[in-house]
Amino acid sequence: MTVNRITDVEFGDTLPVFDPDTRLANVARFVKTAHWNGPRFTDHEAARAEGLPGALVPGIMSQGFLAAMIHRWAPKAEILYVDTVFRAPVIVDQPCHINGVVTDIDEATGEVEIDLTVTNDAGETRVFGTARAKLPN
Amino acid sequence: MILDLHAHSVVSDDGRAKVPNYCQWIRAKELPIEGFVLTEHRQFDFASDYNALARQFGLTILKASEVETEYGHVLVFGVTEALTHAFDFADIRLPLAQVIEEAERHGAVPVPCHPGRRRVGMAAHIDELGVPEGVRIVEIFNGGSRGEEDRIAAAMADEQNYRGIGGSDAHIVSHIGRCATRFDGTVGSEGELAEALRSGGFEALSFREQQA
Repeated sequence: MTVNRITDVEFGDTLPVFDPDTRLANVARFVKTAHWNGPRFTDHEAARAEGLPGALVPGIMSQGFLAAMIHRWAPKAEILYVDTVFRAPVIVDQPCHINGVVTDIDEATGEVEIDLTVTNDAGETRVFGTARAKLPN
Repeated sequence: MILDLHAHSVVSDDGRAKVPNYCQWIRAKELPIEGFVLTEHRQFDFASDYNALARQFGLTILKASEVETEYGHVLVFGVTEALTHAFDFADIRLPLAQVIEEAERHGAVPVPCHPGRRRVGMAAHIDELGVPEGVRIVEIFNGGSRGEEDRIAAAMADEQNYRGIGGSDAHIVSHIGRCATRFDGTVGSEGELAEALRSGGFEALSFREQQA
């Protein structure tokens, strides 16, 4: 389900869950494009040698997933900010799920605030944050 | 009475929730809690007044603190102005013994939180530092726990004969009420909360599965 106007949105609305592609090939494509290439993002063994639990999905890629999720829900939204707190690493090749819920609405300005969480298959929160987006009136 | 004993607002550096939205969320989602305690990191929030908001939503909103010690993070309930002068709440390496001693001297109750968590939880430091004196209550259900953290906390509480509380550790609106504490009686102030914790008439609750 998508929304187009601020009047389509209600407090507590749940955005459709987004399961991003965290496979190694996709992460490798991203870091090459972003000029963030490094073995900690593209090589599990090299990442473990650095003391990490495995290759990491870069934080800026996770933020990109969050923005993509908001635009899937509200294609006409202008994202004003995505503010994230990284609690635990998002690991390459491990499925993760992005959830969003509307937690504040200002109909006068057309702005909504959205809680965002990135969880793994165990339901553990890896990343949380909020986003603010402006929808047409 | 059921209270979520561990929540953060935008007053905390990593908090992203506005208190009115917590209230709105609790009522909109019909959560089974009757209030919550704001435990802002490394400070006591004297400035905010939530009385009107509490009345508007029919909720109890209390204030406490989360401070940092060599054994990890510790919630302090029943904070008074005098207690905030007894040690530096902003210090990230407070001696736990000092926090316990001063809290008790001022009628407050210290509760190590998320004790099963690496680095910032008490269990991780016991091997190196020993079992601390004076701990009576720990947080056994934390809404932000991952993996075995709550199990480690509960096992430690059993072993050391600690009482357990629950709190969501919410930093965003939709995480409020994931864990909570049921009290035998009514709690309407920070002082009554400290007294209720000292009395032992409470139990920890987890609503994480229902809310998943």
